[in-house]
Amino acid sequence: MSELALPQARAGRPSGWWGTALFLATEVTLFGTLFGTFAYLRFKAVHWPPPGIPEPEVLSPVVLTCALALTSVPVQAALVSARAGRARRAVAALVLALVVQSGYLAAQLVLYARDVDRVEPHRTAYGSIVVTMLGVHAAHVAVGILLELWLAVRLAQGLTRYRVVGLASTALYWHVVNALAVLVLLVELSPRL
Amino acid sequence: MTVVDVAGARTRTDRLERIWAHRPGVTGWLTTTDHKRIGLLYLFTTLAFFVAGGVEALLIRTQLAAPNGTVLSPSSYNAVMTMHGVTMIFLFVIPMTTGAFGNYLVPLMIGARDMAFPRMNALSYWLFLASGCFLYAGLFAGSGPNAGWFDYVPLALRQYDPGANIDVYALGLIFNGMSSTAAAINFITTIFKLRAPGMSMNRMPLFCFAILAVSFSLLFALPPLTINCVFLELQRQIGFHFFDVAHGGDPLLWQYLFWIFGHPEVYIIVLPAFGIATSIIPTFAQRRMVAFPLVAIAELLVAFIGFGVFAHHMFATGLSTITLIFFAAASMLVVIPSTIQVFAWLFTVTGGRPDFKAPLLFIGGFIVFFVAGGLSGIMFAAIPFDQALTDTYFVVAHFHFIIFGAAVFPLLGGLYYWFPKVTGRMYHEGWAQASFWVTFVGTALTFFPMHIVGLLGMTRRVYTYGPGLGWSGYNLAETVGAFVLAAGLLLIAANLALSRFRGEPADADPFFGGTLEWTVPSPPPPYNFAVVPLVTSPYPNWDRADREADALRLARGDLVLDEGHETPSSTVRDARLDEILEMPSDSPWPLAVAACVALVFVMLLTRHAVVAGLAAGLTAIALCGWHLQEPEET
Amino acid sequence: MSGRGSRVALGLLAVGPLAVAGCGGNQDVLHPASDPQRAITHLWWIMLIGAGIGFGSVVLLLFLGWARRNRPGLSKTGGSRETGLVVLFGVAIPVVVLVLLFVYADVFVMRSTAAPRPGATAMTVRVIAHQWFWEARYPGTDAVTANEIHIPVGVPVDLVGTTDDVIHSFWVPELNRKIDLIPGRTNRILLEADRPGRYRGQCSEFCGLQHAHMAVEVVAQPKARFRAWLRNQARAARAPATALARRGRSVFLAQACSGCHTIRGTPAQGSVGPDLTHVASRRTLAALAIPNTPAELRRWIADPQAVKPGAKMPGLRLSGAQLRALVAYLDGLR
Repeated sequence: MSELALPQARAGRPSGWWGTALFLATEVTLFGTLFGTFAYLRFKAVHWPPPGIPEPEVLSPVVLTCALALTSVPVQAALVSARAGRARRAVAALVLALVVQSGYLAAQLVLYARDVDRVEPHRTAYGSIVVTMLGVHAAHVAVGILLELWLAVRLAQGLTRYRVVGLASTALYWHVVNALAVLVLLVELSPRL
Repeated sequence: MTVVDVAGARTRTDRLERIWAHRPGVTGWLTTTDHKRIGLLYLFTTLAFFVAGGVEALLIRTQLAAPNGTVLSPSSYNAVMTMHGVTMIFLFVIPMTTGAFGNYLVPLMIGARDMAFPRMNALSYWLFLASGCFLYAGLFAGSGPNAGWFDYVPLALRQYDPGANIDVYALGLIFNGMSSTAAAINFITTIFKLRAPGMSMNRMPLFCFAILAVSFSLLFALPPLTINCVFLELQRQIGFHFFDVAHGGDPLLWQYLFWIFGHPEVYIIVLPAFGIATSIIPTFAQRRMVAFPLVAIAELLVAFIGFGVFAHHMFATGLSTITLIFFAAASMLVVIPSTIQVFAWLFTVTGGRPDFKAPLLFIGGFIVFFVAGGLSGIMFAAIPFDQALTDTYFVVAHFHFIIFGAAVFPLLGGLYYWFPKVTGRMYHEGWAQASFWVTFVGTALTFFPMHIVGLLGMTRRVYTYGPGLGWSGYNLAETVGAFVLAAGLLLIAANLALSRFRGEPADADPFFGGTLEWTVPSPPPPYNFAVVPLVTSPYPNWDRADREADALRLARGDLVLDEGHETPSSTVRDARLDEILEMPSDSPWPLAVAACVALVFVMLLTRHAVVAGLAAGLTAIALCGWHLQEPEET
Repeated sequence: MSGRGSRVALGLLAVGPLAVAGCGGNQDVLHPASDPQRAITHLWWIMLIGAGIGFGSVVLLLFLGWARRNRPGLSKTGGSRETGLVVLFGVAIPVVVLVLLFVYADVFVMRSTAAPRPGATAMTVRVIAHQWFWEARYPGTDAVTANEIHIPVGVPVDLVGTTDDVIHSFWVPELNRKIDLIPGRTNRILLEADRPGRYRGQCSEFCGLQHAHMAVEVVAQPKARFRAWLRNQARAARAPATALARRGRSVFLAQACSGCHTIRGTPAQGSVGPDLTHVASRRTLAALAIPNTPAELRRWIADPQAVKPGAKMPGLRLSGAQLRALVAYLDGLR
């Protein structure tokens, strides 16, 4: 009856992790569809961006995306600390990540407000797909910030297995969103490449 | 003879009854997380939408029974024909196969006490119900979707369809998609993690393979549809440009994205039906499914290859030769996993001891229609033939043979098959067989003439037609057939409804089925399994020694898990026992979250962006409430 | 038991084609009048035979299953022999059949139905689809007509199509397959008839309220007759012959008609509705919805919504006298 003996420690990943991973598969497909649409419209167009629209600027998007992608480090560190039982370190790492990510989101909103008219989504398919892609990405960043905020509060109230699984799921979410951020950047800058 | 400690077993099952008891009354149903109750909620809701879609079908057939019909005006017809398609696909067949059958059966078939995410399961249901109400509220308010179920642009753009009709469509489908996505995540996690110890992947019931294939398909097929609808709404509501050529867009973009979703969708429709067929056949042939591993792989391959054939819906749009050739070749390739399954089913029956009770009759009908519809489908892989007959009644015949014949017939057979398990009573066999014949004849009479009238040039989505084209007689026959079909369905409903109250009592295993749901009482207790079963083959109910060993373990208290609301979790491939999970019980949060999400969509439809944002915030707060409840730390 | 029902279906399958062969109007895939369509129709018959064999074998197996019901004492498991049969019938035979079908249909028949390359044919017709009529132009001439496309018998014509609004699809079943007409694109199809006649077609992509009444007629004529027709169509409109007709022309120009319709040789140059320069030369009106007689023309103008609800032609408030005069004028535009 060795099949019915419980192991000392859980061998497989918890259900919550699987659920998050599968959800992220749909989100990756969502972004894949956006990238595919960008490519489709690009190869239909003669001029890309269309005449009258400047090519995308490089410096601020690259700097911002690098900052965002680097937040995977404190997020992962938070998870490692939580698994080791160190709640305060975990919360501190999460807060650090939160600050950078919120700064990123704020900067994106400012840039968006400044640039939306330059890409002319109300006149061109180019502007429409760029704005939509950046908007969907920003929404994912915002949701990630809310997830982290919730976990930071809960972990400050105490460490439980459930909350650690929640943190593992959120960490996975952030790693995928950060990877997607890099892809979004590459697609956005592709007219320059 | 083994002696079982009956008294010990009884105290344990009593304890399980207390732990897993539902809240009483309506509150119990509104807050339920029991997969069986959720399955029943799905069943009755999808049946209601089936009636709605059926009424729409009968209206269409009545309008088309004679030339120059005047039953429906062109605008009413367009709304009815669109809602018929949308209802049958999004509100009936997929929620019925996954939400009703999948939810009820998957945990029972894998030896679990519930789905991996019971509250998210309830959320799926409430989101589904709300999305269906959203679409129908649009219809009853006079703004029902009216550009066909695939809603091609530019016809669906504001310029040609200025009312709210298409907004109802696009937002409604995004809303509905959330329900299916949540359900897919739940099924995959449940099938991966909650199988009984010993039920390695190759011992899993074929119905569960089908649900697994469907769930992966849903995960990857729904996002293109969602994004497509988002693009459509952005263009319609705030003037972005995705689909109009003048501003750098392309109407074919809609078609590509739609069919990247739409073709996998049709396999999503039919795969669970394959799963039901592969459940019924071994039972009524009293033998294991021939070539079991081939059938399991074929189910997964159909779903996978199905993602590569989508442009065959666009053969008449002027695609390049290389594109045409690629998609025609892929469309022929996808035939092979289906033919594997058809012949596996047939040889299981011919080599067994078939008992043609009602469930097997419906599977027989299913095979007839599936092969006929599949053959006409192969014809469409011949590009010039497709380019001639697409958008005619020939293709309407093809997909109705598949959707009705191949997806609904197994559902009807499955309703009979699992009726004793769910209700504890037997249906009336004689009437069930009669209901099969009426339904079979009705289906054949409704959809077979459509092949002919399509060859005679009748195009689809026409609200009427002229005399003198040779179409009138066939259309009349189809209308008669539709009413015969409706009569057959009513017979089935009457049989099941009456048998629910007056049928002979049924025990746990009236048909000698091989899978685990037949080991539990009829109807199953809320906790499903008193003791966690140990599985050593794909047909655990035919392994009597194992089941007797289970009874002994129940008496000993070995893996009864009666300390709390518990179910075991195991490793993904080999199903070695991994941990004991504490599951949530009845909760009001799923309904609350669904209500908030519904508010978001209504506000988006009525263009109240700020209130929509506030409702989204409310949803987030409700999700926080949801996650305040945690399992006990051990 | 299920064998009996299958025999019914098989019977229908056998009788069906025979019933079809004699019963069509002139929009019948099985009555080809051109080489491309003949290739498609032959493909259909061959596929039907193959499908019949496939369907028959499945029905046979089901019947076998029924005949073997209640047999005693069988093995619970499937042996390798049966798995072998599944591989034979489920993989090997279908692969062979499908490869053959692919080569036949998607290599050979495709060549017959391929769209002509630009400039490859002697004659071109440009078709612009509208909600809910077909505009046809003959490049190289001034001829513009609607819903009735004449072509010379035996001459391959390059039909170059697009649309002015939503997606439509041009399909004349007896002459060739269908081709979608998509905004911003031109698609081409070969139009050719090998015998004189009238060939009916219909829009095959759902295009709104009157999709059901967007038919087209391709008229194949001997070359001389066609040339005469084309010469006539290229001319400006005939002058009105009677006083009544002259009054009708004034009505036409004064009312909203000239805002939507063109009559070449008059100030009416509207481009919303069909060109009416030779409207009386056409056999039908409103995209084959009604015959072209004075009575029907009068009914159509007086209340378009009664004939084709949703049509974009508004009902004009005309007196009986104005209507009579207008009909007399239009009826003279041969």
